[in-house]
Amino acid sequence: MLEHLMSAFSPLNIFLALLGVAAGTIIGSIPGLTATMAVAVLVPITFSMQPDSALILMGAIYTGAIYGGAYAAILLNTPGTPSAIATTFDGYPMAKRGDGDLAISLACLASVFGGLVGALALLLLAPPLADAALAFGPVEYFWLAVFGLSLIAALSEGEFLKGVIAACFGLLLAMIGISETSAEVRFTFGSNTLLGGIEVVSALIGLYCIPVLIDLVATPDRHLNPAETQRGFRLVEAVATMLKNKWNVLRSSLIGTFVGALPGAGGSIAGLVAYSEARRSSKTPADYGKGEPGGVIATESANNATVGGGFIPTLVLGIPGTPPDAVILGALLVQGVRTGPTLFSDGANIVYTFIFGLLLATILMLPVGLLIGRFAYGAIVRAPKSALVPIVAFMTVIGSFAIRNSLSDVGIMIVLGIIGWIASKRGFSVSPIVLGLILGRIAEQGFVQGWTIGDALGDLWGQFFGRPLSLIIIAMTLLTFIYPFMPQLKALVSKSAAGEKRQSVRASGGAVARDVISFGVFGLVAAVAIYQSGSLNAEAAVFPRTIAIGMVVFIAIAFIRLILTRDVKELPSPGSVTRRVSVPVIMMAAVLLIPVLGFGLAGALMGLALIAAAQYERLKAKPMLILAVSVVVVIFLFSFGFKDILGVPLPGGMF
Amino acid sequence: MTKKTIIGAILATALATTLATAQDYPTKSVDYIIPFGPGGESDVTARFQQSYFKDKFGQDLVVSYKPGGGGAVGWSQLNGMAGDGHTIMGINLPHIIVKPEQGDVGFKTDDITAIYMFHYTPDAIVVNAESDFQSLQDLIDYAKANPRKTTFSGSGKGTANHLAQVIFDGLADINTTYVSFQGTGAAVTALLGDQVVAEWGYTTVGATQGDKVRMLAVAMEERHPAFPDVPTFRELGFDMVSGAYRGIAVPKSTPEDVRMKLSDMIREINADPAFRKQMLDGGFALSEVGYGEEMDAFMAAKSKEYIAAAKSAGVID
Repeated sequence: MLEHLMSAFSPLNIFLALLGVAAGTIIGSIPGLTATMAVAVLVPITFSMQPDSALILMGAIYTGAIYGGAYAAILLNTPGTPSAIATTFDGYPMAKRGDGDLAISLACLASVFGGLVGALALLLLAPPLADAALAFGPVEYFWLAVFGLSLIAALSEGEFLKGVIAACFGLLLAMIGISETSAEVRFTFGSNTLLGGIEVVSALIGLYCIPVLIDLVATPDRHLNPAETQRGFRLVEAVATMLKNKWNVLRSSLIGTFVGALPGAGGSIAGLVAYSEARRSSKTPADYGKGEPGGVIATESANNATVGGGFIPTLVLGIPGTPPDAVILGALLVQGVRTGPTLFSDGANIVYTFIFGLLLATILMLPVGLLIGRFAYGAIVRAPKSALVPIVAFMTVIGSFAIRNSLSDVGIMIVLGIIGWIASKRGFSVSPIVLGLILGRIAEQGFVQGWTIGDALGDLWGQFFGRPLSLIIIAMTLLTFIYPFMPQLKALVSKSAAGEKRQSVRASGGAVARDVISFGVFGLVAAVAIYQSGSLNAEAAVFPRTIAIGMVVFIAIAFIRLILTRDVKELPSPGSVTRRVSVPVIMMAAVLLIPVLGFGLAGALMGLALIAAAQYERLKAKPMLILAVSVVVVIFLFSFGFKDILGVPLPGGMF
Repeated sequence: MTKKTIIGAILATALATTLATAQDYPTKSVDYIIPFGPGGESDVTARFQQSYFKDKFGQDLVVSYKPGGGGAVGWSQLNGMAGDGHTIMGINLPHIIVKPEQGDVGFKTDDITAIYMFHYTPDAIVVNAESDFQSLQDLIDYAKANPRKTTFSGSGKGTANHLAQVIFDGLADINTTYVSFQGTGAAVTALLGDQVVAEWGYTTVGATQGDKVRMLAVAMEERHPAFPDVPTFRELGFDMVSGAYRGIAVPKSTPEDVRMKLSDMIREINADPAFRKQMLDGGFALSEVGYGEEMDAFMAAKSKEYIAAAKSAGVID
């Protein structure tokens, strides 16, 4: 053991771990640049390195990228990587009220702790955990996805019906494209762009980030409330909060480790499950979603624990736990390291050196993460709105392009952003749509596979409701689902409190009509899905048809409730209509110009147009010039970095 | 920017592309697009080629992923990419033959300019090492006694795994159930976790999983060198030689001489003893089908074979 420790801590490896964590953190903080991509770019470089150094570098980048995803989630409401979705739920509200620095320090501490738990589990418990993961069959994956979906009850804040409808919409979005289980082409409306389905990461960027950009330009107010005084890292406060949440951290890290060890589940589900459990066991669950530090801690400790957890099936079974693991597995094969059952028992040095390297990288993440986090926070808080909007907008465009090198994905990202913005103003929050989109495919695959197996065995009921593991997940789901309604249920029992809980103001005719229209639109989506399911084979049709029928039922209930109570929840949307509309229009125009002008030039034009949209006071010529030049320079630097450092084939245009 | 300059720029680019002859190729790094996610057989073999490419031809081979629609997203965009030989894409059989028959997936088999099929993964029946099935006959007996209840995991529908299941059911006169998973990794996971009775996989599964699994038979003409103890289906009386072929294609606009050169380059990598050993140890089998008449004949023969199998599998009408 000691020799592995020594070889992991050689000066070169320490340097590589440090470099990897720093680079990973920066890459992960940019929406659209995922850990998978960061690791994939590195693979050829590692061919010329010693296998252990190569692995340490890749592990460090990976772990840094998962943590870096928290920055954009907290400061821009945009998960930098899908693992950070649940970080937005409380991180962004914290940042809004001026606690962004605290949220980032907390994210760093929680990530380090979770990362250590995951890496230690990999060191000590890998073979038994891998066996436990194998007990998860298709049906368990289905129920796990349903468990993730049960969070919508909590996330939709009293607008439960609207939350469910939004989730159904997300589930239907996930059905677009060629179905993996039945190979049928579904809901593409003849478009080749939609064959591969909606790309999840670019959809996330659109749904979460575009609404923020639109609201940013609407008023001259600052993006985040700046701190009144210089407060440093607020490390003492952060440590105290962590201690208060000690069970939360531990539970979330364990959840992250185990979910990470499930091949194909990954960081996003781990974060959601940990968040859901943290909320349920909290004494003040109502604070979650409104800036409760426990929410950030739960997600960030869980998603970094998936790094170590994900390596468990990768190294023990030779089956990648998460997409970045798949890339690392490929690199290992090239290096001549054969993963699989014998790797651990043969005492292969490289594995232990790697695990110690991962531990080292995780510990290094504490100082590195705090420093970079401090910088990121300062940059976002201090940046004038008219610089922030164009640069963030360009990041969303180039980031969603880079995932599949597809301009269509950028277009879809912007369209989904507009849908998300309108829907959230109508009380349909974005998060249920995202949950549906992420969990839809996992749920469908598990369901169809479980159905096929159960049908073949002649025991469908036993397949779905007779397996002990399934029953545990079902029970947890029911608890999560019912929990948010506890106050109402209690109120029903003791009549005294019943009346005052919800004072529904009877909304104006206009507001009711707007709600009727939005129900109508969602109803139309469901109707199209039901109609198109008619021409698909049974395997491809069963899931979307069931969801669409359920959606119609929920819309009907919501409609009746609306007529009876005239209770409408609208979010106010103050500010300039022209400026708000201009954001998606300018971005769309840039997407159309990219094939002609190239990425950098079209991006620069978009940046200049967006400066105009976001700038309120009149600036003198000189500051205006400085602003414009710096925005254009940053955009060119980004294009250069993506094209020449990350190897993304950006369309060059004609010039 | 006037119209004239734009046209001039277009002409200049066009001229530059035609002038770049095959002699200098490759003049810069070559983008190698895998139309699947990382970790699968296409990715792993591309990574194997990567270092040999750099050593032999002095330029980087940059692997990137464009997953979606079981490969359809990548293949439907291939012909829109720059045709100077510096963009190449992985292709798979039977995917590029069966998919276009299933509906409009944005490309036709003929749209794809196949350059070289460099390896294949022979179909194999794999069972959990702890199961009672010691031979193929054990499994067939079980399947006869438990019609439909004998479940096989496999990667995708209309794929080599799926077609193999249908063909073998016919040959052995059994009725089994195929459960489609997303990728070989997920199908193996289901096998190791005893969620299914057996797996229709490839010889590569035997290489990665070692003594955790047992291969009962492989669909090759002769036994795989890495698994001398595993019989072929033919030895056991089932005339079945099948698997998934993988290769490289280029955009349609790629000049003829560059196509030839690239084909020769891939052949050269395939001939390298170290590369061959790496591939065979990984459970792959090499194949040598280069650009030109041999590719046309190969594609025609395979199309007939796969389409017939896919029809009887009910994957296409």
